[in-house]
Amino acid sequence: MTDTMERRSLTRDQLLGAYRMMRTIREFEERVHREFATGEIPGFVHLYAGEEASAVGVCSNLDERDTIASTHRGHGHCIAKGVDVGEMMAEIYGRTTGSCHGKGGSMHIADLSKGMLGANGIVGGGPPLICGTALAAKIKSTGGVGVAFFGDGGSNQGTTLESMNLACVWNLPAIFVAENNGYAEATASTWSVAADSIADRAAAFGMPGVLVDGFDFFAVHEAAGEAIARARDGGGPSLIEMKFTRYFGHFEGDQQTYRADEVARARAELDCLKRFAARVTETGELAQSDLDAVDAEVGALIDQAVDSAQAAPLPTEADLLTDVYVRY
Amino acid sequence: MGDAIVGVVANPLSGRDIRRLVTHASVFPAAEKANMIQRMLTAFGAVGVHRVLLGTDLGGISAAVLRAVTRRRAAGPGARWPEVEFLDGQPIRQTAQDTVDALRRMVTAGARVIICLGGDGTARVTASAVGDVPMLALSTGTNNVFPVVREATIAGLAAGLFATGAVADDQATTRAKLLEVRVGDRAETALVDIAVCTDRHVAARAIWDPATVTQLFCAFAEPDAIGLSSILGQLAPVTREEPHGVTARLAPGAPRQVLAPIAPGLVTAVGVGEIEPLRPGRAYPVDARAGVIAVDGERELTFEPGERPAVRLRADGPRCVDVPAVLAASARLGLLRLEPPALSHLHRGPTAARVRSGS
Amino acid sequence: MARTITYREALGEALAQEMERDDSVIVMGEDTAGGAGSPGEDDAWGGVLGVTKGLFHRFPGRVLDTPISESAFIGAAIGAATAGMRPVAELMFVDFMGVCFDQIYNQAAKFRYMFGGKAVTPVVIRTMYGAGLRAAAQHSQCLYPLFTHIPGLKVVVPATPYDAKGLLTQAIRDNDPVIFFEHKALYDLAGPVPEESYALPFGEANVVREGGDVTIVTLGRMVHIALEAAEQLAPSGVQCEIVDLRTTSPLDEDTVLESVEGTGRVVVVDEAHPRCSMATDISALVARKAFGALRAPVEMVTAPHTPVPFSGALEDRYIPDAQAVVNAVKTVTGWTR
Repeated sequence: MTDTMERRSLTRDQLLGAYRMMRTIREFEERVHREFATGEIPGFVHLYAGEEASAVGVCSNLDERDTIASTHRGHGHCIAKGVDVGEMMAEIYGRTTGSCHGKGGSMHIADLSKGMLGANGIVGGGPPLICGTALAAKIKSTGGVGVAFFGDGGSNQGTTLESMNLACVWNLPAIFVAENNGYAEATASTWSVAADSIADRAAAFGMPGVLVDGFDFFAVHEAAGEAIARARDGGGPSLIEMKFTRYFGHFEGDQQTYRADEVARARAELDCLKRFAARVTETGELAQSDLDAVDAEVGALIDQAVDSAQAAPLPTEADLLTDVYVRY
Repeated sequence: MGDAIVGVVANPLSGRDIRRLVTHASVFPAAEKANMIQRMLTAFGAVGVHRVLLGTDLGGISAAVLRAVTRRRAAGPGARWPEVEFLDGQPIRQTAQDTVDALRRMVTAGARVIICLGGDGTARVTASAVGDVPMLALSTGTNNVFPVVREATIAGLAAGLFATGAVADDQATTRAKLLEVRVGDRAETALVDIAVCTDRHVAARAIWDPATVTQLFCAFAEPDAIGLSSILGQLAPVTREEPHGVTARLAPGAPRQVLAPIAPGLVTAVGVGEIEPLRPGRAYPVDARAGVIAVDGERELTFEPGERPAVRLRADGPRCVDVPAVLAASARLGLLRLEPPALSHLHRGPTAARVRSGS
Repeated sequence: MARTITYREALGEALAQEMERDDSVIVMGEDTAGGAGSPGEDDAWGGVLGVTKGLFHRFPGRVLDTPISESAFIGAAIGAATAGMRPVAELMFVDFMGVCFDQIYNQAAKFRYMFGGKAVTPVVIRTMYGAGLRAAAQHSQCLYPLFTHIPGLKVVVPATPYDAKGLLTQAIRDNDPVIFFEHKALYDLAGPVPEESYALPFGEANVVREGGDVTIVTLGRMVHIALEAAEQLAPSGVQCEIVDLRTTSPLDEDTVLESVEGTGRVVVVDEAHPRCSMATDISALVARKAFGALRAPVEMVTAPHTPVPFSGALEDRYIPDAQAVVNAVKTVTGWTR
């Protein structure tokens, strides 16, 4: 079996793991959507539902050497990189038991011990940081890679383009993942992106760029797998553009009057979880009962996360002044 | 004979697949595809095509052509372009269905020839929708076997001359072979090759790792082609004109090894087992119990144990415009010769039929 | 063992000694070596004013030139810091902060707090500031007040070669993001600097001159202007105490207040613009916490509220000079209700 065949052939455990991960993201986001509507969750949340195949297809190729940076729509990337779901929910609720002790919130969930550099409130804030972690991996010869997730909006931000250039100039083990869900806030990507396709921008920096169906876990897993293997081997950076749809608004509360009815169609015909389930049961790689069992476990996990979060303590005034510096 | 109408479809999405990552496949921007169309429009205008029907896309190709058409109209009379009609009004899904829908409208509207710009995949989709209307597949990018690699102006002249009826069918077109694979009630056709892969899923579609291919069926196999058919092109070449095809079983460890240019920049050793000719009409069963079937280099059909796919070679593929033949006929018939009034006494041979005389 | 070297050499020495001591220290910036991709010499510049010269060859692979992409490479330095490196990135002129400020104030400064204490970002950003070289409006600013304002950053402004080496050494060893301001007109200033490695703590001001009549609070190049003014005033019997802040964040409030308790009169000398600057910061500190000791209002000697002019005739009027300080001291010492 060649390396590439090995990368593509997923074991039963890997397939089950991928399904579990995608299902966890989906249920997490759907639940946050419902809870946010009650008014209990403070601030802004930006939900990733619909895009699961991208986070999981990419991160299922990563290990503890690797780092990722995310966007304001970061819950999916956090979960896919192994950040604790209970701590994430508590963070969204602003509790001390949260990933960031309630001091970051939805847009700043991070876990550096898991190589997750954080969701980021600044569009384009992530790619320069990934140039840094990829540089560190290269200097220390860990074989690790850095993956910068950004959106179609972020693909226009100067920091993203500068980072692509820098990564190519320094030949960094960095992968740039443009998650093109069709909208940057309320503006269509077909309007705001001057290139024919975000993938085409890669050629301007001398790196390969590929376009992938972001609803298809297997397509993402294969393309990302090759990009990551290439980077680990010293082959340098590459750009992957995912094309798909976000099921919810830019933020929770967005009336989405700028959209047509593509969400209904996507949920019915293109949904990554449905397609994954159909495929793996057709081949017999997994049984429907396996998937149902995962669904039940994930449901319980999310319920538990919400219950714990709602019961957890809020930070106190003393917490306000801590952790500004390591030592001032 | 009514108006000379030509249909043109261009695939905005070709050339951005995983091969860009794992081989040295070319980058072919939409702007270049739009340029090719404009070059063809100039050629069409020169030989008397009345109308061109153009598919629309969100990738910038038809938009660029629209800009050029509008600027031309504004600039006033000059070198004539035919009337360009953009087949608008249908929702664009950014899938192959867009191409199929556009092609159906072109056929219904009476297009005499249809040109497609793209790779093997685009040619395949076009072939499936043109019916009996001759097609001309123009290659964009480096990874293609079926489409012709030819300067767009020349292709435009040939297609235009054919569309105006200036060159007879039997001198202008050839009929391509076609491969068909059936899996239960699912069927796909291919213009060049069908490969059986050990992958379980379609995933990133494009094939670039011959180690995954266990069986290969080729409608033709040219020794100077690129892609999977080159494997057999070196060992048992078959031309596009011969009635049969060729098939073989592949295995990395097979005793017979051949170096084949599987993809741009990728020349790799492939193990080839038993080779036999592919007789037209006969159903050849697929050995593997389960896997994915790739048509013209793209994984397309998955199959499970018990489904028993089978491949057939058919002689009734699409009619294709033969560019060199059309232009050779044009030279013989003097189709592109113009009569300068003062110099007519210098003519030898039969009076040249005038351009735009087709009817 | 101290000997006399320049401010520039002192900085270079701090870098070299720390890079020797700790493999994780790397340098990056535009032309920190110079010559990348060019047919001539490598390390052609060693930094635009020569601070990093020699490091490129001495520490192969650890001095990285960059394209002109501040947001990318300053961000990369920050990212690398979170991943266990100790990068010393150079923002060539602090005037360029506009193109990379997000990475500094929204990312590096806030990681530790936003991530609940779980991030450590030991990055140093060295940057040139200050007027006097006729470099005009976009290459001459004193922008340390903007960085001082941001929780999560530390801001260092050394005035002498001795302080430069000790504070840069501390900056590199420090586990928080440090913005290190080097006045471009001080690079050639010579002074005594120990050969061995040493670190000066942050948040400890230096009383460079003792005196009982007035407290002059100042920093950076203005320390030398203040010293000049003090010399001019001494013969008339006015003894100035000069407090060099050294670091604006953390700020040594105690030393300032202690001095003010002793003199009752304060002049703040700050080359930055007068609005929302160190001058106003110290003025507020003194007014709030030493009100009872004050015998005159605080005087501020600053640049005007204008961009830095180009022509020498104007730039020399822009920069606070010894005479302006003398005048301010006379105002506070002569002040009666």
